Amino acid sequence: MSLATVRWGALVLGVAGVALTLLFHWQVFFWVPTEASMGIVQRIFYIHLPAAWVGFLAFGIVAICSAVYLWLGEEKLDQAAVAAAEGGMIFTTIVLTSGPLWARLAWGTWWTWDPRLTLTLLLWFIYLGYFLVRSSTENPERGRRFAAVVGIVGALNIPLIHMSVVWFRSLHPPPIVARQDGPQLHPDMLTTVFTALGAWTLIFFSLFLLRYGVGRLEARIEQGVIPS
Amino acid sequence: MTSWIALAAAVAAKDLRVEFRTRERIVVMGAFIVLAGVLFNYAIDRTAVHPREIAAGLVWVTIVLSGLLGLGRTFELEKEDGAMDALLAAPLPRDALFVGKVMANTLLLWGVAFFTLAVFWLFFQLQMPGNPLPLFGVLLLGTTGFAAMGTLFGGITAGTRMQESLLPVLLFPLVVPLITFGVRATADLLAGFPPEHSAPSLRVLGAFTLIALTAGVGLFRFIVED
Repeated sequence: MSLATVRWGALVLGVAGVALTLLFHWQVFFWVPTEASMGIVQRIFYIHLPAAWVGFLAFGIVAICSAVYLWLGEEKLDQAAVAAAEGGMIFTTIVLTSGPLWARLAWGTWWTWDPRLTLTLLLWFIYLGYFLVRSSTENPERGRRFAAVVGIVGALNIPLIHMSVVWFRSLHPPPIVARQDGPQLHPDMLTTVFTALGAWTLIFFSLFLLRYGVGRLEARIEQGVIPS
Repeated sequence: MTSWIALAAAVAAKDLRVEFRTRERIVVMGAFIVLAGVLFNYAIDRTAVHPREIAAGLVWVTIVLSGLLGLGRTFELEKEDGAMDALLAAPLPRDALFVGKVMANTLLLWGVAFFTLAVFWLFFQLQMPGNPLPLFGVLLLGTTGFAAMGTLFGGITAGTRMQESLLPVLLFPLVVPLITFGVRATADLLAGFPPEHSAPSLRVLGAFTLIALTAGVGLFRFIVED
């Protein structure tokens, strides 16, 4: 992929993502019906859930790009992994801020040891380790390998961390969209969730491409292809 | 040609020999465990809760924290006088080097686990179950997984500017399953539940150990290469 393609891709995805974001905010504030038991605060859901999905998606991309980077040694894959990790960090931060705000009103507490909340918190710290390892290594090539190992082992461990946190009893509602007997949600709510999910997936990939392009440029400066 | 396992055992024997001659890590970890017990004694209000009731959690936290002291220094010796380069230049597969290091660390951590249990038994009058073997099994299995994960990440932090101070930040999120299920099984066994009760927890500890070993064997060579 040439840098020009990357830039165009980021622009197109970004514009589409922002348009969908405006649309889903309109849906959230004016269109979707208010949930019966929790009231208006339940509308945080439309920000919270898609952010969580995108955060987890990003982590998957980090793990896959890291593994293939170690395998092929292609620097572009590392730049892709970093781009995904930074995006993932943003979206897990959104989950971790919107979650407690909602929890305060819905459950009466800012923080609970809820499985998915805890899993997201741990995921956030694994991302943090990914960046710390990278920034505290003198030899950048070595830092990239270290970070890739952190990304892969983190992803391998996710199922077990998930089991551990689920084992603790939870206030968090069971999945209501991704379940085997189909989503249990008002159709308008479902539309809003999917609009939001689409919007943030587009924005994530737009940021991903932008960051990837910056990474490529940085590498070119390091290699002296472009004068700094 | 020397077999793979003999090579790994040679690395482990070297590490343990050095450890028993210098006694650096053993003394520090042992002292840490006793002093942690002393601190817990003063930190816990005995009128509210008896340390025995939360012993499983205290035992595991002590194992993990004192284990970190040792794991962080796994590659300390190799960093001096180009010993790592010599080790890498030796006709020794990287995964055998990793497994050797894990074997030495595992034995150290087994010592840590038993010593912690003994100290807490002495300090807080722990009631040992009638048949202590399942309890020992939980501790041995859990510390093996911890040693494998810690050796891999000890290799990473040894190559960073921040050295072992980075280790807890990398390791703690990953050892959550170990703590959850290790503490669960330990608490149940100390409370006198039959061993079958802890079988699910043991399976998770086993899975954790397997993942840590597999990941280490597969990924270690990317850490030590220059």
